[in-house]
Amino acid sequence: MAVKGIKSNDRHILNLANIVGDARSIIYHKEDLIAYDCDGFTLHKHLPKAVVFPKNTEEVAALVKYCAEHQLPFLARGAGTGLSGGAIPLNGEVIISLMRMKKLLSVDFENRRAVVQPGFVNLKLTNSISDKGYYYAPDPSSQYCCTIGGNVAENAGGAHCLKYGVTTNHILGLEVVLPNGDIVEIGANGIPDEPGYDLLGLLTGSEGTLGIVTKITVRILKNPEAKKTVLAYFDNVEDGSQAVSDIISAGIVPAALEMMDKTAIEGVEAAAFPVGHPKDIEAVLLIEVDGIADGLDEQINQILGVCRKRNVREVRAAKDEAERGRWWANRKTGFGAMGAISPDYLVQDGVIPRSRLPEVLSRINKISEESGLRIANIFHAGDGNLHPLVLFDARIPGQSEKALEAGSACLQVCADVGGTITGEHGVGIEKREEMRFVFTDEEIIAQTDIRSVFNPDNLLNAGKLFPMPGRCVEIKKEIKERSS
Amino acid sequence: MITAELFAELNSILPSERIIEEKNNHPLGNSGLVKVIPKTEEEIAAILQFANEHGKKVFVEGSGTKRGFGGLIESADILLSLSNYTGIVEHVVGDMTLTVKAGTKFKELQEYLAQYNQKISLDPFCPTSATMGGIVASNDSGPKRLGYGSSRDVVIGLRIVYPDGKVIRSGGRVVKNVAGYDMNKLFIGSMGTLGVISEVTVKLRPLPKYESLILLSFPEGQMDEIRRFATKLLDSTMEPVTLELLSPTLSEKLMGRNCNTVAIGLEDVETSVRYQEKFIQSIQPDHTELKILAGQDAQAFWNQFYSLTPISPTDSSTSTQTSLKIGVINMDVTTVIKESHLLSDTHNLKVEAHGGLGHGLCQINLKGAKEDIVSAIQQIRESVTKLGGYTVVKHLPFALRQEIDTWGQKPTHFFLLDGIKSKVDPKRVLNPKRFVGGI
Ligand SMILES: Cc1cc2nc3c(=O)[nH]c(=O)nc-3n(C[C@H](O)[C@H](O)[C@H](O)COP(=O)(O)OP(=O)(O)OC[C@H]3O[C@@H](n4cnc5c(N)ncnc54)[C@H](O)[C@@H]3O)c2cc1C
Ligand SMILES: Cc1cc2nc3c(=O)[nH]c(=O)nc-3n(C[C@H](O)[C@H](O)[C@H](O)COP(=O)(O)OP(=O)(O)OC[C@H]3O[C@@H](n4cnc5c(N)ncnc54)[C@H](O)[C@@H]3O)c2cc1C
Repeated sequence: MAVKGIKSNDRHILNLANIVGDARSIIYHKEDLIAYDCDGFTLHKHLPKAVVFPKNTEEVAALVKYCAEHQLPFLARGAGTGLSGGAIPLNGEVIISLMRMKKLLSVDFENRRAVVQPGFVNLKLTNSISDKGYYYAPDPSSQYCCTIGGNVAENAGGAHCLKYGVTTNHILGLEVVLPNGDIVEIGANGIPDEPGYDLLGLLTGSEGTLGIVTKITVRILKNPEAKKTVLAYFDNVEDGSQAVSDIISAGIVPAALEMMDKTAIEGVEAAAFPVGHPKDIEAVLLIEVDGIADGLDEQINQILGVCRKRNVREVRAAKDEAERGRWWANRKTGFGAMGAISPDYLVQDGVIPRSRLPEVLSRINKISEESGLRIANIFHAGDGNLHPLVLFDARIPGQSEKALEAGSACLQVCADVGGTITGEHGVGIEKREEMRFVFTDEEIIAQTDIRSVFNPDNLLNAGKLFPMPGRCVEIKKEIKERSS
Repeated sequence: MITAELFAELNSILPSERIIEEKNNHPLGNSGLVKVIPKTEEEIAAILQFANEHGKKVFVEGSGTKRGFGGLIESADILLSLSNYTGIVEHVVGDMTLTVKAGTKFKELQEYLAQYNQKISLDPFCPTSATMGGIVASNDSGPKRLGYGSSRDVVIGLRIVYPDGKVIRSGGRVVKNVAGYDMNKLFIGSMGTLGVISEVTVKLRPLPKYESLILLSFPEGQMDEIRRFATKLLDSTMEPVTLELLSPTLSEKLMGRNCNTVAIGLEDVETSVRYQEKFIQSIQPDHTELKILAGQDAQAFWNQFYSLTPISPTDSSTSTQTSLKIGVINMDVTTVIKESHLLSDTHNLKVEAHGGLGHGLCQINLKGAKEDIVSAIQQIRESVTKLGGYTVVKHLPFALRQEIDTWGQKPTHFFLLDGIKSKVDPKRVLNPKRFVGGI
């Protein structure tokens, strides 16, 4: 039976519509599909075949089964905030949007866990349990809109992951629809160390290439008793990054340790949440410690001591929660703020051993000079996770390519010093070829072998995460040439 | 007896003094006709490659403390021991990361790191003999998991020798990393069934500036009171690193008090620890006894605790021992400890049990007659299954492992586990039949 209101001659559209049951749950007209031709990574675009909005796990399973039977490529999509192109329908996929599966299913305070549907927005979880003094720890800057399903797929991090860990450290159970439409439940009761290989750990961060997550059990934490937040201004980047390194090696475990450089400060001060950072400083550190109130002063004093030793110009502690909130809003909207000083920007996501910060920042500076593009640096300094933001203007011919090259060169620097090419945004389409900066062919095959166990026909989110076979040799050469 | 041919092949890889013929099968099983002791990764790779090409089966051991943990084959062709593949590869003090060869003993590492005020934030059993590779492969953790997590939270990189001899790196040396699949996770807890871990990289933590341990003992029959207390503490802003419930027998052994005791570990700067001690005293339930051990006394308690587990392969035949790892949701730990305690009467067993009220993992050690042990395991497993949990038999003599499945029922997603095994180790060379569902 045909669904009312569907005007298409394509039998697949009609059949998919049948599964989701009403015309409001499917998009298939070209003009409507454009909204889904990319995610937060906008340098690559492709139209999907259709976008469907299932309401429950059974519908997801039926959609997947249909796609598998008819060899239609498909992929999952949350809020579409991914920054590496993971949700871009490269092969004209059927997009299975999880945005209508957005319920908080249960909260168990006594055992500290909550069960959510994948489309549930990250920040809503904390907001739903904060009245009881609990929160969900992973806090990507996009948390006001990104979904927990998307967080699981990307193993998202955030400013407070330095002390509390990233998404994978907080996932206790997953219900997953496999690429053949089977539904499996792993860690159904949210109990750690279930016998067997750690599929929870494997699925988290698999960028939507092994299955579609339809239910998630997460750990929730009790709010710390107290927090103290300080800003430290430095007249040179070297001193700021030395201070970061000193804080870590002094054995302090801050809840967050963030840094922005001069260009980034210019951006955030020109955007929606300025806080009055001095215009002439070279680096600002945002440092937060939390825990038992009586123990925090000692840590803060130690941090102040380190900063002074590194010639800090000024340090300020937040007077109250309101000020602390403003500082975090200023930092967390940092990427978007670049829009205030540049028509376009490309976010990169390398990670380095923390002690190499000064050296890496000066090499990134050099890349900026050589490319003629400004690069702002906003980063989770405490865990060595850099976000160089390459500023460019896509209207000027050749600048987009230049920006990509500069971004890739930054990642090469990270790899050179023993780091990696992505700390939280994922590989997606964007960094496929850069995987070769850190992995050998054999190591990549070891990973695609695992993919083939779950996703043997590679219908689910194909073309992501791994270098394109065959092309890899030339690309490798090209990237080497670009960055040398 | 090993054949001259096998010896010659191995001898082309290793000098003969590191090829040891094993005369008798070990009562715990997991033996080899011949034990080989490689000193380099190349040797490990060459041994595996040889085995893979010639259809030989290989068992892997660190120091073999876990011989009684799973395994349905008494002896493989080759027992690969990592006991001589030891040492620190790299310690970057400022980055707080450490890379070690898999055979390195845990305790040695902690002692070395203490000079730098650093530690690996894991607390495995038998730290003096357990190797880093064995701890990671068996995913062993102790009570402090509540505060610091387990191997999956601490390991940031591995080098793995695959069954065909190729060396694969997973993760890296940085503390945050999402490049490709998180392959580290596959090998953590895989019981050596996918590859031989040759190097482990972990992130380190600072040694706590101060620590103390509160031992809170409850009168008999007050499980509900314990539960209420634990819930209240967990619902406060205190940050205990352990909240371990000890059975009366274990409490007796460790501190001379025959009653359920909750061991609450506190680690932070001294002012914070003191403040938390005061808070806990302020919510101390009536009729309980509270004792605080500070600094070295707390450490001494834990050292005794970690060395307790009474597993000796040479034990007399009249009594059998077993050790169970049980996972339930947090507060059900009280039920598990209560029920295991009852086994001493119903099954005439010596029972020592403990479990983490903040993470849900319990360990139960039983000693007694063979039949009683078997029936007790079945009984406990049944009631844990009703709670939605699982029971893994961490230690049992080889003969009994044929009767009682180490891992319990196969999970419904077993085909995925088997699929992974088939991809990585198609010839089933490594630790055959050691793991879930006979993998
Ligand atoms: C301004 C801004 C700031 C950001 N800050 C951070 C940050 O601080 N830290 C950080 O880690 N990231 C950050 N991100 C990146 C992004 O928000 C995260 O990667 C987030 O986890 C993506 O969630 P999403 O719901 O938008 O997923 P989408 O973008 O819709 O999808 C991302 C990937 O996940 C897959 N996927 C989505 N849902 C599912 C599912 N249910 N099952 C299986 N696969 C699924 C998709 O196929 C795709 O491959 C930021 C992004 C923006 C735009
Ligand atoms: C007398 C005694 C009693 C003990 N009792 C207990 C107890 O009751 N409960 C408990 O939890 N712990 C107990 N332990 C300690 C526990 O066994 C160790 O903490 C540790 O987890 C095992 O380390 P190992 O090096 O001895 O591992 P092994 O026993 O050598 O190996 C454990 C598993 O890991 C695999 N493996 C080892 N090394 C590697 C590698 N490099 N790569 C791949 N796979 C590998 C092995 O094949 C095996 O499957 C006991 C130890 C002793 C000595």
